[in-house]
Amino acid sequence: MNLKTKKKIMPYLFVLPVLILLLIMYGYPLVKSIIMSMQDYKLTSVGDVAFNHFENFKKMFSDTDFLLLLKNSLIYVVISVMVQFFLGLLLALCLKDKFRGRGIYQSIVFLPWAFSSFVVGLMFRWSFNGEYGVVNDILMKLGIIDENVAWLGTPGLSLAVVIIAMIWMGIPFFGIMILAALQSVPEDIYEAADIDGCGMFRKFFSLTLPYIKPTIIMTVLLRTIWIFNSFDLIVIITGGGPVNYSQTLPSYMYSKAFSSYDFGLASAFGVLLIVILGIYATLFLKLSNYEKAGDF
Amino acid sequence: MGRKVKRRLINVVRFFILLFFLLLVVLPIYWMLVTSFKTNAEIVDAQQITYYPHVFTTENYQSLFNMLDYGVYLKNSIIVTLATAVFVVILSIFGGYGLARYKFRGKGTMLLYFLITQMIPSILVIIPMYIVYSNMGIINTRLSLFIFYAITNLPFCVITMRSFFERIPYSLEEAAWVDGCGRFQTLWKIVLPVMFPGIVAVFVFAFIGAWNELIAGTIFINTPDMWTIPVGLKSLIGKYNVQWGALMAGGILALLPTGIMFVFVQKYVVQGLTSGAVKE
Repeated sequence: MNLKTKKKIMPYLFVLPVLILLLIMYGYPLVKSIIMSMQDYKLTSVGDVAFNHFENFKKMFSDTDFLLLLKNSLIYVVISVMVQFFLGLLLALCLKDKFRGRGIYQSIVFLPWAFSSFVVGLMFRWSFNGEYGVVNDILMKLGIIDENVAWLGTPGLSLAVVIIAMIWMGIPFFGIMILAALQSVPEDIYEAADIDGCGMFRKFFSLTLPYIKPTIIMTVLLRTIWIFNSFDLIVIITGGGPVNYSQTLPSYMYSKAFSSYDFGLASAFGVLLIVILGIYATLFLKLSNYEKAGDF
Repeated sequence: MGRKVKRRLINVVRFFILLFFLLLVVLPIYWMLVTSFKTNAEIVDAQQITYYPHVFTTENYQSLFNMLDYGVYLKNSIIVTLATAVFVVILSIFGGYGLARYKFRGKGTMLLYFLITQMIPSILVIIPMYIVYSNMGIINTRLSLFIFYAITNLPFCVITMRSFFERIPYSLEEAAWVDGCGRFQTLWKIVLPVMFPGIVAVFVFAFIGAWNELIAGTIFINTPDMWTIPVGLKSLIGKYNVQWGALMAGGILALLPTGIMFVFVQKYVVQGLTSGAVKE
């Protein structure tokens, strides 16, 4: 082997293990589920798997709750991501300059990152309990409500509890990522701005923001995708209830897949989710003028 | 308004914002902790909600160990999680290095593929995997969880590792080559030591990701001797009644390992993500 070919295959030696693994482990399920979405595939009767044209998709779109699920998914994602982002940014800005005890403070406020959605879900489900919940008690003592609110049993409110829990969990991700980006901004550009007499807000919008834009784009994109697809908080806190009022597309898909074992229908939902996210990601990267697509 | 007054005002506002975030994080954890130390009668007393345990008890923790084989779940969780984290770190070092230091054909496509993997809902991966696992006869093994956790954590970890590598000046390596070090030797002896914060960060990401996972655990595992901690705790949620005291105790115990770990390495995570951490 001469030096030139050796040089050419070098990078592949490094990336191939990861690439092959991911190609097989994501590629196969992806293809398989696209096929399953067009099949009558129930685990209860695996023997008679057959293509049923687009029966699963017809069934999905004609589901009486389909629009509700879509609406819930959108509310859940948009509110969670937006609030998380702004709170995370605010936190990062406050942490940028050194103060005494910053290290310990950071360890505590970023802690939810290390928590499982399972435990966080329990924590919020217990706090918002209708009878023994601490949230009702506090609101009552503050005179905001007169009687116990059945948070988890009321349409609208149950989804709100899930969103609050999701926001709580997700602030550290934005906080850490944006803080790291802020600390990478070279100090001297601020000094120059000070000499030019720039105000605080001016400095933020014309210096800081452009600098951390790549981080913001990447984190918002990833977070949106992750939250859109995540449903464990919903399963733990409300189970989708009451009825389907806090159910989103992924959580509904989960219940379809593993309560009725209708893998065909569940796959149809999955294909729909990928299409929605694909369109979103493409538009988001185009509109935010981010050329390094995929470079997250 | 004078400059000094303004500075002061900003500091006061900042103090209250920081206090807000501190309370936001601490209060829910506090509530969980006090619940875990209350007697059951005190927990479900709708007349009076107590803000600290009036009768302090550790019975919830005891009943947790009596009702569940917590030690077994702990063992399973540790085995699966450590195996996942080590495996993910090793592959991420190679993948991340290759992506950071070389230009090659198909690199753009590869990065795009990484992004696409993030869009695939986990259930869509779990279903076919469940079928394959059944055929292979590895349902209900730690191996089944290890494989799933490894591949779900890999994409983010590889990309993060890559950006860590990109933050290390190339000149460092070039100097080593001039001194006659080979590529792998340079990576091992020169780059990795500098990369330490980044490696710790990725290890923690993978560890947390695997430690906390519930859904795949409930699907791939069906006998209690193979349960991980989240799956074991979930069994405490009955259809009609929930044992809040024991659940909160279990939750606290489940949070401890990752929580403690995070407190110690949090600064490495931020450091690793900050560019210019290594001065040329």
